[in-house]
Amino acid sequence: MAKTSTDADSSEVMKRGASQWAVAWRRFRKHKSGLFGLGMIAALLLIAIFHNYLAAYPARPNAGSFGPLYEGEAGMPPSMKHPFGTTIMGTDILSEVIHGSVYTVYVALTVTAMTMVLTIVVGIVAGFMGRYVDEVLMRITEVFLVFPSTLLILVFARLFQLRVNEPYWSLFGVEIPIGLTIIVFIVAVFGWAGNARIIRGETLRQKELEYIQAAKSLGASNRWIMFRHILPNVLPQIIVLATLTMASAILVEAGVSFLGFGDPNTVTWGRLLQENFNDMSYAWWTEVFPGLAVFLTVLAFNIVGDALSDAMNPRLRE
Amino acid sequence: MGLLDVENLKTYFFTEAGVVKAVDDISFSVTKGTTLGLVGESGSGKSVTAQSVLRIVPKPGKIVGGKVLFEGEDWLTKKEDEMREFRGRKTSLIFQDPTSSLNPLFTIGTQLGDIVIQHQKVKKSEAAEWVIKTLKLVNLPDPEEAVRCYPHQFSGGMKQRICIARALLLNPQLLFADEPTTNLDVTIQAQIITLLKDLQKNIGMTLVMITHDMGIIADMCKWVVVLYAGNIMEIGSTETIFEEPHPYTEALLKAVPRLDQTKALIFIPGNIPNLITPPTGCKFHPRCKYAQAICKEKIPPVEDVGNGHMISCYMWKELNRGK
Repeated sequence: MAKTSTDADSSEVMKRGASQWAVAWRRFRKHKSGLFGLGMIAALLLIAIFHNYLAAYPARPNAGSFGPLYEGEAGMPPSMKHPFGTTIMGTDILSEVIHGSVYTVYVALTVTAMTMVLTIVVGIVAGFMGRYVDEVLMRITEVFLVFPSTLLILVFARLFQLRVNEPYWSLFGVEIPIGLTIIVFIVAVFGWAGNARIIRGETLRQKELEYIQAAKSLGASNRWIMFRHILPNVLPQIIVLATLTMASAILVEAGVSFLGFGDPNTVTWGRLLQENFNDMSYAWWTEVFPGLAVFLTVLAFNIVGDALSDAMNPRLRE
Repeated sequence: MGLLDVENLKTYFFTEAGVVKAVDDISFSVTKGTTLGLVGESGSGKSVTAQSVLRIVPKPGKIVGGKVLFEGEDWLTKKEDEMREFRGRKTSLIFQDPTSSLNPLFTIGTQLGDIVIQHQKVKKSEAAEWVIKTLKLVNLPDPEEAVRCYPHQFSGGMKQRICIARALLLNPQLLFADEPTTNLDVTIQAQIITLLKDLQKNIGMTLVMITHDMGIIADMCKWVVVLYAGNIMEIGSTETIFEEPHPYTEALLKAVPRLDQTKALIFIPGNIPNLITPPTGCKFHPRCKYAQAICKEKIPPVEDVGNGHMISCYMWKELNRGK
């Protein structure tokens, strides 16, 4: 105990006394690539927040019109004025990528939030309750796992997209792109099953530990045990999964848009790739830079996910 | 009638390999203010008995019969949400491994305070005082500082003190201690045993001590229940079972190592039986050196042989005739 130890190691005790978050952060800080990835994500967030100030050219007034961006400089290779070059329609690619980052962040956050709610509830409840509850939830999970999800995402995206009459929905003055939100829902619905299985497994392991029995023997309810005892103990895994889900969400959305099934009213990175696909042979920069944006973002999330799983691994004690 | 009366309790585990009769038709009684010892080898059903009383038997275990009477009321017939009244308040449990029985993520103050808040509907500050008061009861040094610490900052003995405090938080009348010293150093063991004895003396706690250590039994317990393979072998006061033991108890007592022992350690030959296909008759007969033909055929009834000494053995009378 802190007080009974000698002065010589009291600082060590103080250090050990930190909560698991402090310990995880201390380990994360030693992870060079993890910090680099975190820096990239921070940069992405800043770009998304200040996109209107950072971009040299305004966003397209609506996705189909390129009007005000024409300056007679269509299909220009990268230069000082247009660092990423311009498209055949004459838009500045750097500006488009900067504006598109907003949607990337939106997709990453919303898909992950929805996926994780399902993951946590299904995983913990199935793992903890066991028996028929587990049986039913796991069979449902398997149904979602065996669906050819890419195909179904495309089918549903097209199906719902046809019913969208308005491009935006105004929420507290913020314009939410309806078409993109539909894709977010579809991706989330098909994305939680694998994660839920992992959290279920972790719950099964936690459930066997004696502190759960102890909580039960002191009259704790099932709900209390699940969300006060088990949830915090599986949170490290949840955070790692959330980070990796962000990466895959960005990738899936870019893929859907690239195939032409995206929201026709938003210029996401995937849509840039799709619009410029035909010009790739003679204007490589039109594809390379939006593609690089997707690649670096996904890479950053994956690196951070890796670093987090190292930092929060309870088996790796300092 | 005692504070706790267990009558014909049966707890079976329904595994894929078959039904394991972990606790098979056992009855005993705990008198208020005393310490009862529950003795037996590993796998004899000691812990499952405690879990059955609190109804926290892990799956695939199930209580299939019997009664658990606490102050005359049968708690096995209660609904699950009524058990909250029972667990922690009437009966509480101390676990074997203090390290894994504390949640590693919360400070002592938080996890003990939570229990108080959940049960007593008090404010956070009152709960914190309550926790510190209880930690003082178990002689934890500097409880004001301890509530801000995480479980891993304490030694095993301190953690067990915290676990005992946690079990005492809601002022239970009966405390089950499930081998509370097995995972501790010998020096710490003595401290924990002394603490339990003091608690028993000072606050009149009724205690059920689950152990396989005959030394602890001799030191602490007034009454002893000896279990073997889910059956009761004998119940009696500590003096009687030491003086006129059941053949199984006798074997257990002989297996205690002694300092003046010059020969090899004595052990009970064989293993505790497979409970899916237990031996017929007395479950101890394959390992018993006094076993006769009748022991293989019928389970010996639990008979009162005087002074509350209950014995389940056909041979006992013959063996103890001379005494």
